[in-house]
Amino acid sequence: MTINEFQKKLLAEAMDTGFKEAEVYYKKSESFRVMIFKGEIDSYETSEEGGLGFRGLYNGEMGYAYTEKIEEASIAFLINSAKANADVLDEDDGTDIFEGSETYAEDDFYSEELAHVPTLKKIELIKSIEEKTFAYDPRVVTLNYCMLQDFSEERVMENNKGLSLNEKQNGLIIYISAVVKDGEEMKTGSFSKMTRDFNELDADAIAKEVAEEALSNLGERSISTRKYPIIMRHDASASLLAAFTPVFSAENTQKGQSLLNGKVGEKIAAETFTLLDDPSHPDAIAGSNFDGEGVATKKREIVSNGTLETLLHNRKTAKKDGVETTGHARKPSYKSTLTIAPLNMYIAPGNKSKEELIASMEEGVFITGLSGLHSGASTVSGDFSLAATGFHIKGGKIASAVKQMTIAGNFFDYLKDIEEAGSDLKFRPGGYGSPSLVVKELSVTVD
Amino acid sequence: MIKQSIIENVLEAALSTGGDFSEVFIEDKYVNTMELQSGKIEKSISGRDFGIGIRIFSGLQCIYTYTTDFSEAGLINAAKRAALAIKGGANGTIHPLQKEIIQPIHTITQMPRTVEHARKVAVMRKANDIAKNYDERIKQVALRYIDEEQNVLIANSEGKFVDDTRVYSRLSIQATASDGIEMQTGFYGPGAHAGFEFIENLDLNHYAGEAARIAVTMLEADECPSGKFPVIIDNEFGGVIFHEACGHGLEATSVAKNNSVFANRIGEKVAPDIVTYIDDGTLPNEWGSLNVDDEGEKTRKNILIEDGILKGYLVDKFNARRMDTEATGSSRRQSYRFNPTSRMTNTYIAPGKSTPEEIIASTEHGIYAKYMGGGSVNPATGDYNFSVAEAYLVKNGKIDRAVRGATLIGNGAKTLQLVDMVGDNLAHGAGMCGSISGSLPVNVGQPMIRVSEITVGGTKGE
Repeated sequence: MTINEFQKKLLAEAMDTGFKEAEVYYKKSESFRVMIFKGEIDSYETSEEGGLGFRGLYNGEMGYAYTEKIEEASIAFLINSAKANADVLDEDDGTDIFEGSETYAEDDFYSEELAHVPTLKKIELIKSIEEKTFAYDPRVVTLNYCMLQDFSEERVMENNKGLSLNEKQNGLIIYISAVVKDGEEMKTGSFSKMTRDFNELDADAIAKEVAEEALSNLGERSISTRKYPIIMRHDASASLLAAFTPVFSAENTQKGQSLLNGKVGEKIAAETFTLLDDPSHPDAIAGSNFDGEGVATKKREIVSNGTLETLLHNRKTAKKDGVETTGHARKPSYKSTLTIAPLNMYIAPGNKSKEELIASMEEGVFITGLSGLHSGASTVSGDFSLAATGFHIKGGKIASAVKQMTIAGNFFDYLKDIEEAGSDLKFRPGGYGSPSLVVKELSVTVD
Repeated sequence: MIKQSIIENVLEAALSTGGDFSEVFIEDKYVNTMELQSGKIEKSISGRDFGIGIRIFSGLQCIYTYTTDFSEAGLINAAKRAALAIKGGANGTIHPLQKEIIQPIHTITQMPRTVEHARKVAVMRKANDIAKNYDERIKQVALRYIDEEQNVLIANSEGKFVDDTRVYSRLSIQATASDGIEMQTGFYGPGAHAGFEFIENLDLNHYAGEAARIAVTMLEADECPSGKFPVIIDNEFGGVIFHEACGHGLEATSVAKNNSVFANRIGEKVAPDIVTYIDDGTLPNEWGSLNVDDEGEKTRKNILIEDGILKGYLVDKFNARRMDTEATGSSRRQSYRFNPTSRMTNTYIAPGKSTPEEIIASTEHGIYAKYMGGGSVNPATGDYNFSVAEAYLVKNGKIDRAVRGATLIGNGAKTLQLVDMVGDNLAHGAGMCGSISGSLPVNVGQPMIRVSEITVGGTKGE
């Protein structure tokens, strides 16, 4: 049974068996991944997969089910499961299936050129990055990750109200982590990049960047534990933003899970802070012309010079707040129900380079990496206490790497304490972007 | 799930270019997830995951491919495409498949798929009411119920042919307390390798009550001081510290390539005499337990550290080649989408002789971590971090005020050397562990322990 036949039959049977509205969401993808260890292919992985999510309005409630087994027998499984799930819901918000937006942007997230790069060329590139990283400095003792991955996927959304959308996307990801050793001191440094342009990947430049990132962490010193002015490097800032993104979700404000409840139109951050979401930002690789409900996406300002302009909405939360949806319904997979998330959220850049920001700081800490974000950051209270790597700034210069430390504060205070944004806006592979930020102060505890 | 003759053909196609080992992993999994918030069942989804992973070894090279196409032609093509990664050679040998019947260690009395949603929902509502009614400052309760029935079939070119059913049930409770200005949360998430009987028999007054109590306690807590302190870590989920600080460093994933501080140190003293560290996948119905691992090997009790001496690692079939040793029944993967590797199951510090009262009474000035949050580690350096969900100051041998926002950082190998008291009250707690072969159910466990010095990062100065 082909997937098209399956979809048609499923929708038809759903309408015949008591569903008032119904939608199918199908995704198929292919991937390739290679990991190199000391010049040899250590692991080589390929995949071809597909799965289908179904949801439908049954007795006024939206039931969900999914399957990865595309065969005739699965139709009954999906219909019966979705009905059983609809039966236990307590919602009374008139949620329904969307008939479609008037127009959609036609941004392209698929590169034919990337799709045709031969496997051998990709393997040569990643091997060469490993070799050049080792050659860069004798203190590079091993690469604990040296990986290249590419993927392509196609999503299809169809419903009984005539909506039929599809989109293709591909990309290539490189992730390298180098281990360096000097005497007894051992440090790591990593590099990651996601792109659709194979030709922009330069093995020499990548090897240099990852080796220098790791080497710079050597020679660590302890500094006293207290509050310091902070410069958050673009990548550390983007990962903190990603961890706290749920505070901007209307689903969380409506359930009393975000302190931004009732704050639209109010000043929530410093004047220098502007937060945007752009579904097709050229520097970000992830993107989409429609959201998880089929609503057309568009570029929006979430926070404008410190003022909260809007929360992130799907159709259900928008209806509850009496506003228009912002196109932020997110269906991370056919296996999920709908949630709310941005596509490419980023902090607007300022004018000064990272070097200029450092030069203008008398004493402080330059944070280059954060870990423990899944457990040390509470989106409900805004409190965070996170392990960090970074450098001591003294007299406008990097003085030394700092021993393992934690930085602690509250995200809502942090937003108000942002003094300046640098010009170095960069996106993480996951779709969050930031320039480096100067922050008034955070508590720093050094091991 | 798939005919034996087809599996044999796939194993053979996988070795057509000179590979020396091939394996097929078939997974057919049913999942139910329900969420309750604001007193309402808001989400409920059911699904079926179905796919096949094919793995080939050629010396120290590992090729993995997976597909959701279960037709014979689709599977043979996938195997042949994967085999192309190996550059020529004679056909490998396939041993005839010998069906192995395993005696399940984990009794399941109520398969979740046979239990109607209404009964699951009833437990969720009850837990919600207990947490909500705990204190008027509890403003929100979020519950997540999940059950999974994972049927796997594993066959390889050495003749292995085994199937297994793993059943998981978990109820996670998050309570949010607010005084109108600030908000704090409390969490508890009991889980087991068991059916609905586990959910129905849960002591909800304890679990939902504790989630609510933690949230309210943290609302009243002071900011945590920063600095170096003796730290007392309570039993059960407290074991997450050694899961991060040394468990990951004992996995062949990092040991085989010398990326661990514990590599090449078998027989060396790595901890004080009072520390014995064990990974045991056979504990009946525990969250991290399995009958067989994801390579079809029987799970076992692996002693990692005994009386302070490093005894062993957690090893999978592929890394066993690089390390020239035997696999330990520790190979795991989240699903057919992941190439399996060595992972923890139920890992714990064996009980010692001190009573919890003695440990607290003998601590003059320190931090008592009653409940832990999660953490992470850089396996290459051993540097770890994790958050404390509920912490107290200890003053003159007594538990003092509650403090919030505590994060512990340090180096695993060094912290292990600083364990100076081990309690007698071993217990296990359920968690999810994320690593290269995906997110897996694991137990972490320990009795109450004390570490003479850990760096505590808080928001309040020294």
